[in-house]
Amino acid sequence: MHESRTLRLQRAMGALVLDGDETAIEADPGRVARRHDLPGADQRAFRDQVLGMLTYRELARASLIEPLETMFPVLKALLDGTESWEPCVQAFLDARMVRSSQYRDIAAAFLGWLATSRWGLERWPFLLELAHAEILETLVARFPDSDPIEGLHPDPGPADFVVLDPATQVVTYTHAVHRACVEAPSPEPRPTHLLAFRDEAGLARLMELTAATAALLVRAQSQPLAEAAAALDIPDPAELTRLLQDLRREGAIAGFQATPPFTS
Amino acid sequence: MGQGRFTGVGVGLRRPHLEQVAGREDHGVPFWETCPENVIGEGGRFHRMTRAILEREPILTHGLAMSVGGFDPWDEAYLQDLGEFILHSGTPWHSEHLCFTSVDGSCLHELLPIPFTREALRHTITRVRGLQSRLPVPLLLENITYYAELGNAEMDEADFVSAVLEGADVGWLLDVNNVYVNALNFGFDPKEWLSRMPLERVAQLHIAGHRKFGDLTIDTHGADVIDPVIDLMQWTLARLGRPVPVLLERDNHIPALDALLAERARLQRAYDAALALCEVRHA
Repeated sequence: MHESRTLRLQRAMGALVLDGDETAIEADPGRVARRHDLPGADQRAFRDQVLGMLTYRELARASLIEPLETMFPVLKALLDGTESWEPCVQAFLDARMVRSSQYRDIAAAFLGWLATSRWGLERWPFLLELAHAEILETLVARFPDSDPIEGLHPDPGPADFVVLDPATQVVTYTHAVHRACVEAPSPEPRPTHLLAFRDEAGLARLMELTAATAALLVRAQSQPLAEAAAALDIPDPAELTRLLQDLRREGAIAGFQATPPFTS
Repeated sequence: MGQGRFTGVGVGLRRPHLEQVAGREDHGVPFWETCPENVIGEGGRFHRMTRAILEREPILTHGLAMSVGGFDPWDEAYLQDLGEFILHSGTPWHSEHLCFTSVDGSCLHELLPIPFTREALRHTITRVRGLQSRLPVPLLLENITYYAELGNAEMDEADFVSAVLEGADVGWLLDVNNVYVNALNFGFDPKEWLSRMPLERVAQLHIAGHRKFGDLTIDTHGADVIDPVIDLMQWTLARLGRPVPVLLERDNHIPALDALLAERARLQRAYDAALALCEVRHA
């Protein structure tokens, strides 16, 4: 099928912005127009306006890369240590995975690409966890608001199910990635359980959990509390009740109900 | 296009100012402009503050990322949300940029120039009509800054922009800073350029700061508005002879709210002076 010249010009501009061969593009921006079978006059326009065309490359790449540098500073520090950050970002751009027109989705698209491509996981098995941990609080902080869930009660009973706030996430990592920092970006290999939630003011908070508490918060969404606690050998119901009440007050738990939250 | 309560110089609502704006009503800003992409599908503290401001203040909506001249299908789910947001906000119109931002589904997050060609013109007019038919209020298109023509141009920017506005029968969000920056980069007289344009279609103005980098001037939205751009705003208002709203954009090096409000007040004085001169001439 015949493709319009306009579309080929736009594709050439996309390649000029996203392709990795910096030296060749700088030497001759017209090469991307040639590659898209554009006529000689269009190739010349790319070549003759080298300053403007390279400005577009710089501006668009900055728009795409700056959110990654802002959202993943520890990952960047880790990869910068082996001069791997730029190849990683270029591989992401080569995959053309920024499909959302919303700026805030760029970091999430990068995380999704890391998960599907498994880029760098052979060398850094914790890399995906590290990236996830870096944007966990932002994802929770900006989770879309919704109407309050109706029919919940504030105090848990043994036959109740736990209903988490929609923004809350219980995550388990094989490494203590939440402790990694720019100065020490390689995390300690230690199973880590985190509760990320939004408090009353709408701000994200992170809490480290024991393995048993994390498992309980997951299990008790589909199993009555008493059964879930027994299955996990959690012995003290009074202490458990206090913990769950605290988490409800702080905003991580929306409340409790007598039917499983996903079936009501 | 009814402008009603939208006159004077408004300000783009930006995240660093949300808390302060939400907490005070004595800011003197007659209206705000918000980017729906930054509100729709959001939640949490900043979102709640934005919503509180939008409920209280007069609002215009201005999109950032719609690929008006592109080929990718419209995101119908987003357009549905956008329509609801627009209706709820009470904005009399919604504006987007006359550019393309994505190709083959890949979003480039930059306002890229549409080729100034007859084929691209026909394509863009069809796209704009399609977009207008999906929106509950009139659509305005904003002229962008451009740093190179995409491909071998068959007409100049003024002819292309005019033909799109006329062909699609939509209003114009005239960014006077963009005209000024393009005039610097391509060596033309901005007033002469504006004199060729369908000014009767102008419903709103944008104004902002820019910065020179070597041989090229970039529309950074990161500095105070310079006097020649204010002069161009006044010249345009005088030619229009009506109080279209002007919106001050600041997206980089965002100053403290009080400094931004002082900048707005400076522009408001220039705006009032231009309109007062119009009234004297018409008296």
